[in-house]
Amino acid sequence: MEIIVFGMISGCIILFGALGFSMTLKAEGFINVAHGQMLLLGAYLALAFSSFGLGMVFSTLLVMVCCGFIGVLIYRFLYSPVKNRGILVLLFTSVGVAYAINGIVGALAGKRVMAYDLPPVRALRIDDVPIMTIYELMIVGFALVAAIAVHLFLTATWVGKSIRAVADNFDLARVRGFDPRRTSDYVWFIASALAGVAGVFSGIIGSLHLGMGWQQIIIILAATVLGGLGSIYGVMLASVLLGIGMEIGITILPSNYRTGVAFLIIIAILFLRPEGLQSLWAPRGGARI
Amino acid sequence: MDSLILFLIGILSIGAIYTILCLALNLEAGVDGLWDLGIVSFFGIGAYTYVLLTAAPAEHHQSYVLGLELPIWIGVLGAAVMGGLAALLIGAPSLRLKREYFLITTLAFAEVIRQIYSNELWLTNGVAGIYGLAPPFSEALSPDARHVTIFALLILAVAIVYWLVRACTASPFGRSLKALRENEPLAMTAGINPFALHIRVFVLAGAFAGVAGAFYVWYNTLIVPGQFVADVTFFVWTALIIGGIGNNVGALLGGFLFIILHDALRFLPLSNDMAEVISSVRTALIGVILILVLRWRPEGIVRERPVTIPVRR
Repeated sequence: MEIIVFGMISGCIILFGALGFSMTLKAEGFINVAHGQMLLLGAYLALAFSSFGLGMVFSTLLVMVCCGFIGVLIYRFLYSPVKNRGILVLLFTSVGVAYAINGIVGALAGKRVMAYDLPPVRALRIDDVPIMTIYELMIVGFALVAAIAVHLFLTATWVGKSIRAVADNFDLARVRGFDPRRTSDYVWFIASALAGVAGVFSGIIGSLHLGMGWQQIIIILAATVLGGLGSIYGVMLASVLLGIGMEIGITILPSNYRTGVAFLIIIAILFLRPEGLQSLWAPRGGARI
Repeated sequence: MDSLILFLIGILSIGAIYTILCLALNLEAGVDGLWDLGIVSFFGIGAYTYVLLTAAPAEHHQSYVLGLELPIWIGVLGAAVMGGLAALLIGAPSLRLKREYFLITTLAFAEVIRQIYSNELWLTNGVAGIYGLAPPFSEALSPDARHVTIFALLILAVAIVYWLVRACTASPFGRSLKALRENEPLAMTAGINPFALHIRVFVLAGAFAGVAGAFYVWYNTLIVPGQFVADVTFFVWTALIIGGIGNNVGALLGGFLFIILHDALRFLPLSNDMAEVISSVRTALIGVILILVLRWRPEGIVRERPVTIPVRR
């Protein structure tokens, strides 16, 4: 029971990171390695904001806005100009961005492990069994809200539809009057804002250190492969399954193998069903989100 | 000996090791189109294989397997074989899939392998690592003469690897790889079997990276899991991109140039706090250089030359 609850909580954090990552992967078609560093940036920004005396909730909201705008700027000035040079150039530009963000945060914040200054709380109890703390409950609740919001956004709003249209067929979408540039801005804003939140949450559950971005991107990649590359619903399911799977995995293996378990899952999936979870409901080669 | 010369020899030695990795990566990623984000795994496997074959048996405060005290050339050979075998193991399932999956699988494998070095105490002595590994010729030569000898051997190794990779690139094998890179369906109609060639080049690159791993142990005289993080893979890619992907001279230049840029500040006398800031700034700088090169000169310093075949009339 404990394992499943904790797995679900870490699954929710993975969800925030993986959701944004999948959106950029689907919209731009490349693996954005810098996405993990967006989590790092979000986590450290929240630390800076709260050290100025802002409350945690307000800091988190501010982080979303800041990360969102930084994401759009990075896209506009760094990715967009090299977009027509192929995926390899984009991929390694994002590696460059990742190192740049990591280095800047490291130079400003130092290499020590840090944590947020949150008041300690007792776990909420159901029938005297401790389930989760109020912070963790908020994370799970926020994840549910975010998943539903992203779904409604993609299916029911004009911008959401244009994102799907541009990702499926760039030229057709342009002919039909969607502006791909504006669409991309929305994608990068949302993806980066979600990444920032994921960073804050993983800082709340664990601690802040310079390696967290690299660690998270690896888990995010695992969730993305498990869900099916670029599939939004697949990745939502995959994140939660992966969170639980990793917790179950480390009851068998030593706990240092957490990301290792994620990767064994990737390799197993590639053997069994390279299309990922989305192949369970999407027709082969058909339209999907 | 002059400390400046020793410093230079040190930098160029590590540069030579990175250059071997660059040449290996260029063979698989530049000549063929395999996006390997896990070259560090073969580097690490080579290094550990070398240590386990050539080191003395584990003492009471350590634990690792083997420790056979074999001669160094067997160690280097073993490193090559194990590097190649690991590549075969990971390439056989993943090379049949789309490129994105290959990229993710190699990255994943590197991470799993690193966690194995850190956690399996019986195999590698874990995060504590294995220290005090005698470099070759440590009994026959004075330390200074030994540094120079190792440096000379490394340069010789770079020359041999360069020659082998160049021969590979120019051979029908290399030209088939380029054909696959450019247009796989078209290459298949010309009778080229993609999987057979991809796996061969991947194993070859793995073997070269394994040898580089053995040399890395000569240079460091110790081995810890922290030496084999994903940074190594990305640094080798950065070096190759700066030098010129697809061109072996570019790989040669890129490897040395990157290490000179990266390590030039390392031996400055700095306070601890200062050193920490400098290392972060350096990380940021590597990122910025990579972005700038890809933006303004994506073909690198030396661009790839098109293959020309003399036509006999």
